Amino acid sequence: MTHSANPTYDELERAQALAWSPLTGALPAAGAADPVAPAQPWRFARRHARAAAALVLLLVLMFPFLWLVQLALRPENDVFSDELLFTPTLASFAGLLQGNFARSFGNSLLVSTLSTALSLAIGVPAAYALARWNFKARSQVALWILVTRMAPPIAFTIPFFLAYRWLGLQDTVIGLAIVYLTFNLAIVIWLMQTFFEAVPPAMEEAAYIDGCGVWQAFWRVTLPLAAPGLAATAVLCFVFSWNDFFYALILTRTEAITAPVAIVNFLQYEGWEWSRIAAAGTLVMAPVVVFTLVVRKWLVQGLTAGGLKD
Amino acid sequence: MASIELRQLAKRYGKTPVVHGIDLHIADGEFVALVGPSGCGKSTLLRMIAGLEETSGGEILLGERRIDAVAPRDRDIAMVFQNYALYPHMTVADNLGFSLRLQKLKAAEIRARIAEVADILGLSALLERKPGQLSGGQRQRVAMGRAILRRPQAFLFDEPLSNLDAKLRVQVRTEIKALHQRLRTTTVYVTHDQVEAMTLADRIVVLKDGRIEQVGTPLELYDRPGNAFVAGFIGSPAMNFIPGRLQLDGAPHVLTDDGLRLPLPAAAPRAEHGARVVYGARPEHFTLDDDEGVAAEVRVVEPTGSDTQVALRVAGHEVIAQLRERVSARPGELLRLKPQAAQAHLFDAGSGQRLN
Repeated sequence: MTHSANPTYDELERAQALAWSPLTGALPAAGAADPVAPAQPWRFARRHARAAAALVLLLVLMFPFLWLVQLALRPENDVFSDELLFTPTLASFAGLLQGNFARSFGNSLLVSTLSTALSLAIGVPAAYALARWNFKARSQVALWILVTRMAPPIAFTIPFFLAYRWLGLQDTVIGLAIVYLTFNLAIVIWLMQTFFEAVPPAMEEAAYIDGCGVWQAFWRVTLPLAAPGLAATAVLCFVFSWNDFFYALILTRTEAITAPVAIVNFLQYEGWEWSRIAAAGTLVMAPVVVFTLVVRKWLVQGLTAGGLKD
Repeated sequence: MASIELRQLAKRYGKTPVVHGIDLHIADGEFVALVGPSGCGKSTLLRMIAGLEETSGGEILLGERRIDAVAPRDRDIAMVFQNYALYPHMTVADNLGFSLRLQKLKAAEIRARIAEVADILGLSALLERKPGQLSGGQRQRVAMGRAILRRPQAFLFDEPLSNLDAKLRVQVRTEIKALHQRLRTTTVYVTHDQVEAMTLADRIVVLKDGRIEQVGTPLELYDRPGNAFVAGFIGSPAMNFIPGRLQLDGAPHVLTDDGLRLPLPAAAPRAEHGARVVYGARPEHFTLDDDEGVAAEVRVVEPTGSDTQVALRVAGHEVIAQLRERVSARPGELLRLKPQAAQAHLFDAGSGQRLN
């Protein structure tokens, strides 16, 4: 075996296997006589260990989710039976649609979409300004925006509650969307700022020279180049709004109740309806999964490749 | 097409001045190169003409129109960037046609203009590709095509060849020159490579520390540099400088501190006998002369085939000589090197100003 400056993967692996064999108690004589042979089982184990570990980890992480989904599909009367085989039924989902859950689900969709759209509409231009214009106290402004996200949400509940009662925004979809907007703005501004900074200013300068104004250059050149970042940011905003339980619980009563809060109602009023809870939980997770899958393409795509000489 | 006029053009960053009151007239259709070491303000000057950098004082005129307060989009000037700055999310055709689409031209006319320019630059087969799928030279041509397509009043080039490899650089250089001969558009070209400036430009502006050192045709700058900086900057390998004292008794010459005698042209220089001066001689203006040459110790011999470049030590100073004959001297050997008196340059040791 020749040792080149850059050893191959096999060579490295063999060397590692050799280094390990004394620790495993392999016979030194056998190891000395044929360094490769006793390493074979190890090699097999090492090669597949990573995949096996990933699989185990995946199962552990997915377990609550999978358990919830199977719970939702079980007939109501044997929710807690430990038989693995059962006839799946959509009865609990159908039950949900007949009750008020569909409305709460609609509220959740509306609130999350609205707050995501508003956060992007306000936050993206702000992030662009912070990324491109050097003005006094730029970094202080950016820091204070971030600080709004650092305080514990509970600190804002009473002010929000009182203000909303006074403004008549209690128990309204728009009111809830505004609360989420205040929290999402910080995320949007900070994330988009870094994405905009990654777009070379020369691109915009080329656009100015080609006949764009500031707005056109932003719209036609900078924003498309930051699209992967925009998609990632939108997903995060949506998920944050969608998953919120706390504010929805405090600021809504009946009209604007969101899906996570509605689930709790299954515990309180109609007894402990595990099937429905599981079905509702599954439905609540669905949009997040779908949304993430849809924007995945942009999440991983490196759009700026090749525009500049690296 | 139009002339470009700079009047007392200045730029300060905060309180730090980087361009000091530049006056320059660039004639309609002229190709002017701005050269200088990095930090000399040449790119800032170009960016001010483009409108990407605000001016701190002075005026810029394009033809009769004053443009220094006009937005870049309304200046009618096209620019080729050092890193090309192609839009990576658009195809080559969209990159080329971007400015025309902004002008709201008809799609058919845009297509026709794209096809015409693509034909000139050999891009016809690449129109549907994205910049990421192009080689460096192809991206360069798209960047130029984008500028040409607009038929602007003037072209600005910001070190457009510095990202290309040596062979491609020479090729694209020729293309740029051919293009200018064909279109005759007023062009300002920034480069730190004096060979590019020499080969391309009608006139060269040498800048240093935000000031113009000299303006002239390439050969004027080469043959009669106005000061030691320009002399050292223009020409490759650079001019050799040897300090000494001016001697006006008999034939004018420079006497080095080691007592070597370096001949000067017969015309009297603008300095007094005994003044501290710097003697300048270009590498190709040396000959080997066993009778009249000065002693020079060979350090390195570099044959190029067409001539021989020899690095030597003369009176304690490094000297590069480009000799037409083939030299087989070995390091350490002594050669008798004779500077050609008629081609010698003389500079003031303090100010660096030309004295002959």
